[in-house]
Amino acid sequence: MKKILILTLLFLLVSFGAAAADYYPEYSGEPTTITMWAWTSNENYSIDEFEKVYPNIKVKWENISDYYNKAQTALSAGTGLPDVIMIEYSYAPQFMSIGAFQPINNWLDKDTFVELYGEDALGWCAMDDNIYGTPQDSGAMALFYRKDIFDKYNLTVPTNREDYVSEIKKLKKAAPELDFVRPPIGYSMWWIGQIWQAGGKLFDYKDGNWYIDFTNPTAEEVFDFWGKLLDEGTIDLQMYWNPDWYNSLNNGRTAVVELGSWFAEWLKYNATDSEGKWRIALPAQWNKGKQHNSMIGGSGFYVSTQSANPEAAALFVNWLNSHPDSLTQLHNKSNLPVLVSNRFGEVIDQVSGPDKFFGGQNIGQKLWESHKLVNTTFITLPIMSNVDESLSSLLQDYADGKIEKFSDILPMWQESVIGTMQEFGYNNLIIDQLPE
Amino acid sequence: MNRRKIKTSIKAYIFLAPFLILFIAMVVYPIFLGAKLSLYGMRGARTWYVGLDNYIRIFQDPKFWSSFKIPLFLLLIQVPLMLFIATIFAILFERMSKRGGAIYRFIYYLPYTIPGIVSGIVWSYIFSDSMSPFRPLLDLLGYSGLKIMTRQNLPLLLLFIILWAFTGYTAFIIYSSLLSIPRELTEAAQLDGASFWQTAFKIKIPLLKDVILTLFIFNAIGSIQVFNEPWMLQNLVVLPNNYTPAMYIYNSAFSSGRFTYAAAMGIILAIITFLISLYFLKTASRQMLN
Repeated sequence: MKKILILTLLFLLVSFGAAAADYYPEYSGEPTTITMWAWTSNENYSIDEFEKVYPNIKVKWENISDYYNKAQTALSAGTGLPDVIMIEYSYAPQFMSIGAFQPINNWLDKDTFVELYGEDALGWCAMDDNIYGTPQDSGAMALFYRKDIFDKYNLTVPTNREDYVSEIKKLKKAAPELDFVRPPIGYSMWWIGQIWQAGGKLFDYKDGNWYIDFTNPTAEEVFDFWGKLLDEGTIDLQMYWNPDWYNSLNNGRTAVVELGSWFAEWLKYNATDSEGKWRIALPAQWNKGKQHNSMIGGSGFYVSTQSANPEAAALFVNWLNSHPDSLTQLHNKSNLPVLVSNRFGEVIDQVSGPDKFFGGQNIGQKLWESHKLVNTTFITLPIMSNVDESLSSLLQDYADGKIEKFSDILPMWQESVIGTMQEFGYNNLIIDQLPE
Repeated sequence: MNRRKIKTSIKAYIFLAPFLILFIAMVVYPIFLGAKLSLYGMRGARTWYVGLDNYIRIFQDPKFWSSFKIPLFLLLIQVPLMLFIATIFAILFERMSKRGGAIYRFIYYLPYTIPGIVSGIVWSYIFSDSMSPFRPLLDLLGYSGLKIMTRQNLPLLLLFIILWAFTGYTAFIIYSSLLSIPRELTEAAQLDGASFWQTAFKIKIPLLKDVILTLFIFNAIGSIQVFNEPWMLQNLVVLPNNYTPAMYIYNSAFSSGRFTYAAAMGIILAIITFLISLYFLKTASRQMLN
């Protein structure tokens, strides 16, 4: 008996050691320095931890933003890309399909990836079984609401879309000068996020083919839902990320915003006047009984095709985005509320606590909960800037009264997207159909 | 003799060198590079030779040609209007005492010193729905629901912003040329009984023709290449990616990654600008000869 116990213990110990070693293999190359572009703040704390474990790899981090144009240019020029580059998940396939990244399967195989980041994350970091990077923060959608407005007008936080509509109407009646919610003009990630949160999608990629179907029942349900409210004038659209919008968040004109978990940090720094008034809830569900969530934003770290040392870069991106020591730093120092890696579960209790800006709510736990509801995924089209541009233009036409019925936008959007895909030479299209 | 000539030209080139080197490196070389790039197709890091395909596609691309609506509007309305207002300002500047007028010249010149991108941000606040300083006035007049910034109003707002930015500067240049007009001419006219405005319109403005023509050409080029102002106002209203030719070129290159197509459009835009300038120069010099 004793022998068995010892043997079992020994086995557990060995297998645990082996598993841990498998996650983070040793670096076999010469001492090297790799470069990285990322717009998050304070990545250096994680880098310091990494360099302690891998003394032969130094990481030079450039904290810049708005570098997609720069990256496109550097890629076309054949030189100038860093070893590691941070890209939003929805834009990653665009960069993958034009050959901006190189596969890192040699140092991070599929099984380990899935174990560390979950199956869904493959949709954001891999294509055709090539893994190009690792996911960092989660953009899981959450419902941000003003508790002061909810209290004053006796509103309840809606858990499903039916209640959502009745709360919209209740506020409209009680305080017509306030907005319960205003969907964005443009910002396709938001609209795609709504459909995704309902368990659907507009497009996908499988076995060498791009699937496009904007008029599937789930997408139509979501557009009909918002369309009804917009067409009858109960709510209005609004441009996000401009002075009017910032103002409405600061002065309490808007009661609800549905955005990714990163928005919690954004609010803290950009709506300082509203401290203590916001709270976070899980997004209102579309189907009773089924729980889904989507991501609006969130970014991964990918190894560029111009990296001369993909091994070092691969070891770094994996350690950075999954090792508990790094995740702790990313949460505490880089203001990323929720990290995608499953190993974030090992540190969440330790790093999360009451948040003053959110009136003492433990938002870390709430956002982690909303992240765990993300249970479907897909691969975005390789022309996301055009997908975005086209929807923006159509929504502006709707706002200007040139399009009368909101739900007419979906087929027009699809037509424009298909046109651009063909223009860019993607002839492997399967239209009006999505993969199983 | 010959030696001296060589010596002076060497001296001349030494003085010219800083300009020439920068001009070649920053203007001539990129144009050649752009022209070369425009003969290729591109997807990501992959390029392949396509000859004149990009140019043929541009001629068939309605989005490129319809992007000239805004520049044409500016060229035909804003530029003449601005030159007219600037000339009136310049004449008024000249009428004021040199010292007393200085403060006005300074104030009117100021907007020109503010970079377009910076003023774009300020204007986007001024035209915003909730923070516009015009809001209380509009509310008072009963237009509380009126949106200032719509796609429909944008050309007029652009016209207003560009007038604001460049009229003072233009007036300043015209004013400087006014100063160089010999006093005898205007004095003679006044002795003959011409009024102030008669002297201005019959004597001074005809003498300023050259300057006004040059200013017209510069501003025509500016309106064909207009970019900063609409770009910044995109914060408030969604604009099509081909709102102006320069925006279409920028968006094609950077948001769609079609660098070579954008390079070809850039070359065509340069040719169009060149032809327009040439046309005005030619007609003007013909008129002067007559």
